Amino acid sequence: MASDPTKLQKTKDIGIPSIAMCVARVPNSGRLIFGSSDFKLHEIDVFAEKPQPTTFGGEGHQSYVTGVVLTAPNIAVSASYDGQLIWWDIEKREPTRKVKAHELWIRRLVISPDGKTISSVADDMQCKLWNAETGEMLRQFSDHKPITPHDFPSMLHAVTFSADGKFIATGDKVGHVAIWETTSGSKVATVEAPGLYTWDPKQRRHSIGGIRALAFSPDNKLIAVGGIGQIGNIDHLDAPARIEIFDWQKGERKHELNNDKFKALVEDLVFDPSGQWLLSSGGAGDGFVTFTNVETGKTIHQDKLPMHVHQLALNESSDTLFAVGHHKIVVCEFKADPPPADPAEAAKS
Amino acid sequence: MTLSRRGFLNAAAVGATGTFAADMTRLDTLRHSAWADEVKTQGKRVILLWLAGGASQLETFDPKPGRPTGGPYRAIPTSATGVHISELLPKMAARIQQTTAIVRSLNTKNADHGGGAVIMETGRIKDPGIEYPDLGAVCAKELGRLDSAVPDYVSMYTSTEGRRKGGSGFLGSRYAPMFLSESMQPENIRRLESISDLDHQDRLALRDLLAKKFTQNRHSDSLGSHTQAYQRVRGLMASEKLFDIEQEPAEMRAKYGPTQFGQQCLIARRLVEAGVPFVKVARAWWDSHGENFETHRELCADLDHSMSVLLDDLKDRGLLEHTLVLTFGEFGRTPGINSSLGRDHFAAAWSATLSGCGVRGGACYGKTDEDGHKVADGEVGAGDLFATILTALGIDPNKEYHVGARPVPLSDFGSKPIKDVLV
Repeated sequence: MASDPTKLQKTKDIGIPSIAMCVARVPNSGRLIFGSSDFKLHEIDVFAEKPQPTTFGGEGHQSYVTGVVLTAPNIAVSASYDGQLIWWDIEKREPTRKVKAHELWIRRLVISPDGKTISSVADDMQCKLWNAETGEMLRQFSDHKPITPHDFPSMLHAVTFSADGKFIATGDKVGHVAIWETTSGSKVATVEAPGLYTWDPKQRRHSIGGIRALAFSPDNKLIAVGGIGQIGNIDHLDAPARIEIFDWQKGERKHELNNDKFKALVEDLVFDPSGQWLLSSGGAGDGFVTFTNVETGKTIHQDKLPMHVHQLALNESSDTLFAVGHHKIVVCEFKADPPPADPAEAAKS
Repeated sequence: MTLSRRGFLNAAAVGATGTFAADMTRLDTLRHSAWADEVKTQGKRVILLWLAGGASQLETFDPKPGRPTGGPYRAIPTSATGVHISELLPKMAARIQQTTAIVRSLNTKNADHGGGAVIMETGRIKDPGIEYPDLGAVCAKELGRLDSAVPDYVSMYTSTEGRRKGGSGFLGSRYAPMFLSESMQPENIRRLESISDLDHQDRLALRDLLAKKFTQNRHSDSLGSHTQAYQRVRGLMASEKLFDIEQEPAEMRAKYGPTQFGQQCLIARRLVEAGVPFVKVARAWWDSHGENFETHRELCADLDHSMSVLLDDLKDRGLLEHTLVLTFGEFGRTPGINSSLGRDHFAAAWSATLSGCGVRGGACYGKTDEDGHKVADGEVGAGDLFATILTALGIDPNKEYHVGARPVPLSDFGSKPIKDVLV
């Protein structure tokens, strides 16, 4: 069934005791595996009559779980602020392998489209590629300075693979994006989005923001960068959700989009497989979801969600989203109406 | 009765050059309670690192790892057996046993920036009938010397959010802070180029003459305070170089690092080394209603490095045993994590630290419950913390000032020092 963002409606709203930081969806199901602020992985079937999370056991993480991907039908890999990657047997809900992956907090974990490689980024400012099956580190690279221009520790929040897996992009706190060739580890381009980083030199003398989400368009030509715009009072997430879209091969900024409705941090970005729209989500006090026309940069549709969203998953037909975040999991559908029945066929029936 | 270091030393010197009987005079000198008090406080200094906006106790000195309120950061062991602090403070963790006591059980009851700041500046709640001096002014009065050529109280607050000058209240302008807000150098301290040094001295002499005539038969604390302030002008003007960190070797500047807070800590060290009794360095702004963990990753790195270097530098110079280094702000932050991954204002169970002079390094006083919502053991208020600070400095917290006929103890009525953190 085709999608229609204007038909967005919430179909499930499930309370959970912890803050869900990341999610992976078991294909063709409502089974979500999410990592959370209780240092654990959980599984929940959101389409069950009474959805209840089940917690994974064994010796798990020692801090917030900030990334989870599915590498095989029965295997999940999680990442945490504790610097570890953990491989899990989903059926047994037990860990099978642990790798000390980074010296500092792992901010995000993604998997290549072919499922063979996973990539982690952390505050040691390194991007590392791992063999999804064996856990062997394949290579690491960085183009991100550990200290901001204002002499404070920087952070490396965002990483994404291109749709064909040929490229990988990393984005840091001060708005620097590096794009790499996955197989060689060669840097092929950089783009700058300093509008996502707010440094307050006078009132409060620290910073906020940074690149929190990255996504390549399905044809690889564009890269979308998400975060929050310039904040006046950096005590709060008090600025418009902000997206910048670059034609990275030409080095041109195509769109610079400040959300006209939501003051919030963009935590996740997903392109429609056809490349027509870009879905962004995140939050401040509450959450939001916005569909943007990639060509024009205009908002197609947007709505409030009941919690700050930390990550999204889409179903196979890209007409249902599964959002996890602050003490909630929400499912929204945005299915196009079925095409009108053929009058001749209708008459026959 | 006014006593001075010079007065005491003169008396002691007589004893030292005399006979056995003169030695007895020295002992008598120490029996004189006021002089003995002065001996206790001689050379004592305070550096207050004011964590403006309210630092999170959970991301600093009272972590709750693994609890729903604990946040993502781990607790790490310190050099004091059994004492853990946040992994955001690794340098301080290595120095706790040698230098620092932690108080984890502050309940100061007011989680409003303004109200909380008044309580933590003065050690008591605001009284509409009286303007209390802040800790800096009290220390300036108790530790300062009448003949001092340096300021008694310097306060640095260069960020604008929550900026507070502090004040000397009923102690008068003599003990008000030299306040640095726009730059790290005192403004308007230099003699105008159009006035020669001789002219300047003559003007002061004329002002003094006129002031003496004016104050004849007039008895006013504020007049006295005003005159005393003018009498110290030339000394204060000469102190300008103390604020210039270019006077320090490049290696020392590099140790303190490039941040403004680090540089202000270096200035604070220069000031206490020169005899300034009280220096406040405000590090604003910790008010992390959103993105608490990222904010503390930045600010704790600054605090951890600057405070560690400061303590090491004071120790290396033999100053730490005479200098009390404090950290606190107007309150702490909520154990609950809001939907912006922030923490809000919280005064019911939070932490402060005391390092150096008079402090039992490695002591960890008080306890909060497993999620940090309440004090579980050893609850203390701002008055108790102030009584502890004063005691560490050799100042009797029960000593009274008099405002008219009203006695005002240095630390609030009913407050008691926390003996467990004192040597």
